[in-house]
Amino acid sequence: MKINALLEKLLSRAILSLFLVYTLFPMLWLVMASLKTNVELLGDPFRFPAPPQFGNYVNAFKSAHLALLFSNSVIISFSATALNALVASMAAYVLSRYKFRFGPVIFSTLITGILVPVSALMVPYFTLIRTLGLYDTKLALILTYTAISLPLSVFIIKGFMDSIPAELEEAALLDGCDFYQKFFRVIVPISRTGIVTAATFQFLSSWNEFLYAMLLTSSEQVRTLQMGIRFFASQFTTDFTSMFAAIVISIIPSVAMYSLFQNQIISGLTQGSVKG
Amino acid sequence: MQRTTHFRTGAILFLLPALLLFAAFFLYPVGYVVVVSLLNWDGMSSPGFAGLRNYSALFHDEVFRISIRNNLIWAFAEALIQVPLAIVVALLLARKPKGWKLLRTIYFFPHVISGIAITMLWGAIYNNERGLLNGFLRLIGLSEWEHNWLGGLGSAFPSVLVYGLLYIGYFMVIILADISSVSQSYYEAASIDGATRTQQDWHITLPLIRGTIATCVTLAMVNGLRQFEQVLLLTNGGPANSTSVLVLYLYKELQNFHYGTANALGTVLIVLGGLVILTVRRLFNAAKYDM
Repeated sequence: MKINALLEKLLSRAILSLFLVYTLFPMLWLVMASLKTNVELLGDPFRFPAPPQFGNYVNAFKSAHLALLFSNSVIISFSATALNALVASMAAYVLSRYKFRFGPVIFSTLITGILVPVSALMVPYFTLIRTLGLYDTKLALILTYTAISLPLSVFIIKGFMDSIPAELEEAALLDGCDFYQKFFRVIVPISRTGIVTAATFQFLSSWNEFLYAMLLTSSEQVRTLQMGIRFFASQFTTDFTSMFAAIVISIIPSVAMYSLFQNQIISGLTQGSVKG
Repeated sequence: MQRTTHFRTGAILFLLPALLLFAAFFLYPVGYVVVVSLLNWDGMSSPGFAGLRNYSALFHDEVFRISIRNNLIWAFAEALIQVPLAIVVALLLARKPKGWKLLRTIYFFPHVISGIAITMLWGAIYNNERGLLNGFLRLIGLSEWEHNWLGGLGSAFPSVLVYGLLYIGYFMVIILADISSVSQSYYEAASIDGATRTQQDWHITLPLIRGTIATCVTLAMVNGLRQFEQVLLLTNGGPANSTSVLVLYLYKELQNFHYGTANALGTVLIVLGGLVILTVRRLFNAAKYDM
């Protein structure tokens, strides 16, 4: 009996450590490789860089125009996140608090969007964006990203708003709030958790998006960071170490965002909001 | 009276932007994909009606057959390997061993980073001359096992497929959350009856989280159908189309202005996705399904 328990414990430790190593090791290797010289990289892949080549980061910044790509990504992701949060919470508010005939139909139609594989819609998105005259603009990506995750955001935020007691709104009405005041002063602050959860998911997916960034833009002026490191890899195939440095730089914002909103993300997943 | 009208205007104004975006980016595109899949069209000249010819051409096309086979392998690999691994790890973490919260955080890490970054990292690991994998094999004296992982006909697809399957953090977090919502009284009762922790997991936890497992299986399979970045960046479908997948093929057809076949591929994807959702739902007969 005791030996069994011990074995079970050992086995459990072994499995957990295996996944830990699998998750962490490649990333540590990435950071290490980004600090090596190209000659060192060809040698023993496990040796520590001596001395660390921070120049790789400078190279990456210069030759890949990382500053431009970075600011493009920031503008696109933050705009899409803000716009998505606003549009989604407005719609969620009406669908959650007002009972009208088509409400349930509109809501269930909206959230079937969660299940549509949007990569199947490449051709119509391409023609739509061109017809709107938005091809190769930041606005094309902002609109697309805002729309793609709208169903999920409405679903998450409506879930939170549904749990707000009706008395709160009645009190606001008695205090003389009109429709808009009620929304911005009462409902939005209370639903903050839901809105932030949706926004965090939205930011991460916009920041990391690749397919539509490739399809809907072409010039370097609007290129995102994800596209940038891909081009960097194909153009400068000899300078591997600078490529690794560029990848490390592209990861930093996602990691920062995750560390900041870690509990938010975990509880967002926990509340079943993404279980669609 | 005035107040009601006022509120009605507000409600309409608030719903409008979401409905417009949904119509432009979901309703119209899905209709467009289905309609254009029935046309013979390059996107510029006037389209001709093709009936189901785009579809029959696809089914006689070798790249399409390879793509759909690869996507199905991918979908089932995620459902049968990734999800069970996630369940095992979630069950182990649910016993709250030392540092379980930290482990939960670290396992989720790869899902925060872009697919591009992870994929390029693995491209470097598989790299023929300076890659980590071949370097490791040399180091432990197995240099005869060195291989051109992404260039070999037999090894390319497994190499592209396999590394993502072991990133289990996303499903693990969802499952772990559901496990922690199971009432402790079940376990207390089972302990009194002398059931071991493993027996409890098998007879109590797993049946109770069936709905969440069904959700994860659905998400995993749909994910397998949507694969694209890993293939594009590592092999671009090669060698000899052996690693092609539907979305990559769709992208290439779009670039060649074969709008008819591109949209037939899109329709196939949407239909496959729908089939997966219906089948998994029926298989698990999940009463506790969220949607």
